[in-house]
Amino acid sequence: MTFQVAYNILLLQAILPHRFFSCVSMGIKTRVSLDSRLSPSYPEFFERIKPQSPKGSFVGYMLGKGGKRKFDEHEDGLEGKIMSPCDGPSKVSYTLQRQTIFNISLMKLYNHRPLTEPSLQKTVLINNMLRRIQEELKQEGSLRPVFTPSSQPTTEPSDSYREAPPAFSHLASPSAHPCDLGSTTPLEACLTPASLLEDDDDTFCTPQAMQPAAPTKLSPPALPPEKDSFSSALDEIEELCPTSTSAEAAAAATDSAKGTSTEASAQKLEGPQESRADDSKLMDSLPGNFEIMTSTGFLTDLTLDDILFADIDTSMYDFDPCTSTSGTASKMAPVSADDLLKTLAPYSSQPVAPSQPFKMDLTELDHIMEVLVGS
Amino acid sequence: MQNSNNTADIISTVEFNHTGELLATGDKGGRVVIFQREQESKNQIHRRGEYNVYSTFQSHEPEFDYLKSLEIEEKINKIRWLPQQNAAYFLLSTNDKTVKLWKVSERDKRPEGYNLKDEEGRLRDPATITTLRVPVLRPMDLMVEATPRRVFANAHTYHINSISVNSDYETYMSADDLRINLWNFEITNQSFNIVDIKPANMEELTEVITAAEFHPHHCNTFVYSSSKGTIRLCDMRASALCDRHTKFFEEPEDPSNRSFFSEIISSISDVKFSHSGRYIMTRDYLTVKVWDLNMENRPIETYQVHDYLRSKLCSLYENDCIFDKFECVWNGSDSVIMTGSYNNFFRMFDRNTKRDVTLEASRENSKPRAILKPRKVCVGGKRRKDEISVDSLDFSKKILHTAWHPSENIIAVAATNNLYIFQDKVN
Repeated sequence: MTFQVAYNILLLQAILPHRFFSCVSMGIKTRVSLDSRLSPSYPEFFERIKPQSPKGSFVGYMLGKGGKRKFDEHEDGLEGKIMSPCDGPSKVSYTLQRQTIFNISLMKLYNHRPLTEPSLQKTVLINNMLRRIQEELKQEGSLRPVFTPSSQPTTEPSDSYREAPPAFSHLASPSAHPCDLGSTTPLEACLTPASLLEDDDDTFCTPQAMQPAAPTKLSPPALPPEKDSFSSALDEIEELCPTSTSAEAAAAATDSAKGTSTEASAQKLEGPQESRADDSKLMDSLPGNFEIMTSTGFLTDLTLDDILFADIDTSMYDFDPCTSTSGTASKMAPVSADDLLKTLAPYSSQPVAPSQPFKMDLTELDHIMEVLVGS
Repeated sequence: MQNSNNTADIISTVEFNHTGELLATGDKGGRVVIFQREQESKNQIHRRGEYNVYSTFQSHEPEFDYLKSLEIEEKINKIRWLPQQNAAYFLLSTNDKTVKLWKVSERDKRPEGYNLKDEEGRLRDPATITTLRVPVLRPMDLMVEATPRRVFANAHTYHINSISVNSDYETYMSADDLRINLWNFEITNQSFNIVDIKPANMEELTEVITAAEFHPHHCNTFVYSSSKGTIRLCDMRASALCDRHTKFFEEPEDPSNRSFFSEIISSISDVKFSHSGRYIMTRDYLTVKVWDLNMENRPIETYQVHDYLRSKLCSLYENDCIFDKFECVWNGSDSVIMTGSYNNFFRMFDRNTKRDVTLEASRENSKPRAILKPRKVCVGGKRRKDEISVDSLDFSKKILHTAWHPSENIIAVAATNNLYIFQDKVN
């Protein structure tokens, strides 16, 4: 079947009445659409995006200096920061990619202020993306040995990566209590990411070349060495992006503030501390009363925000002081482990209803500060 | 002459009627333009009927939701024709919130010779009337009128994405992100809710309805697709609320292709029954799939539309292109399927010969009678002469809406604010 042009019909701004028919038109009105997607800047946008890495992937532009990026600007200077991601450790590029996507998703949800209602499908998909990343971060957070054995059940980590994002109720409560992360499965939690990293690295780089090899990489992941390599990977991340406004850093801060006094976590503290300034910058820029939040706090507030689900009345509940420690604790206080346990115990068993936004209560914050400082 | 910066002219839906005689387009400005095919004349035997403007009317106006302080767009999301039952044509058009039934009718006679008023309609002085006459119908210039016959409003909290006329011609359904309602054409103040996937807790919402359609022959059967890449077939005889599906179509995820964007690109943007009613076709971001209704665990055919975008998903996510909703259509005999892509390309897949072609809808290549040249996107390093490299694709030029004549090989392709009509080559 070969197709040829019969003729073109071009819809003009004013449809001229055909000579045969007089159209009973009700007036043609022109309205400016608010759909930013169709703004004429997109062709420009794509011209500026040039693959930088030799394999022609777009990963190059995604690695940037960690500062807050404007939504529609892509400084070409970003490309100078490229570390040839496909050659580097796959974990690092995976983590950075994930971080970039997380930031993009957050910006999408908050920077977009249309005059019309945002598309629910888009919002749900972005939310799912954030949840998935957060779930991964949470699982990776369980790498660090926790001092509180948890009774909170977690889904099997290996499955959670393969399947669709877990139910939010599972996500909401334990994320506020990283101490509850199953110490029973820290190693398995870190295993799957490693294998997944290989896959996603392929996906991001050259799908065509790597696809034949991909299935073989889904073999059961390696065991103990993962933990050490992960810590070193984190160090590399810190070297690459010392000022990254990473929610991952926030999550790391969350976990590390829970009183793990191992060397591994001590290393990670440097990252969160450096990024805290940027964290708070990012947080301050968000609308609403987010003062000090973890990455999980972002998500719960995101999904609960009236902007997104306007027909749901969410009432305010007390803010869980467990999460407040992450942003404020600036130093490890090993002595406070028991105190922290006592503080956390009443909260850890309490299932956080997903409809409760976390709101900082300053008096509770003071209380926690006292506990941590070891008064 | 055409003002390309005017976003109100962007075509948002295209649909042939059941005979193919009429072609309706809806745009972002809430207007509907109907084209009619000219009758073929004997003296111009080489020219098949052209489509000319038949009627234009403003279907929807922008509204303001005072409760949420948000505008309701007047953009026409879908148009569906009703089968013709008398001299008039009926179509359904919908924006995000309201469905309207329009009657498009012709008037080519008008009564003349009234007693009490003169030809301009002014009242005559009764004292001057000395004789009585019977008004007669005289021919006049053809006038096409569009009148709204029904307005089906206030039934959807979320944005309507699909409407579908049932094969009983008495009912139709409208689907929004979370609910599907069943209407009777005659009743505007009531509708039945037949699907509701809204969770009790909105934070648990992870899936929305993306498209829905009635079976072409069985008036009790319909399908709806979701943002997670699943299709559910429901039977309205089973229960009043079809929350439990009769069939569930889902393809297991390919682990080698897994990425951050797996879920987003699996979201189905369009679902269409074949004319035979035996198959359904679904469009997700990168592929078109044909499913046999009798096999739920995987599609029988999968066609790659633009797989070269798989490595660009992150940037496409950033500029929102990954959320573009492409539609797909069958040809009259269900042997060829068509869907759109970027850079004003559209693709056709022949299911029998397994051949596919990429064509472009652009002004430069579309002089009348010109034969469309197949295009090719080159993926690797070496670019042949006529090929386009992936990085040169214009992602602002996307073909989301296409339509195929029900019986002939005539296709309508909407490229932003231009409508192209192509026909099969005449020998």
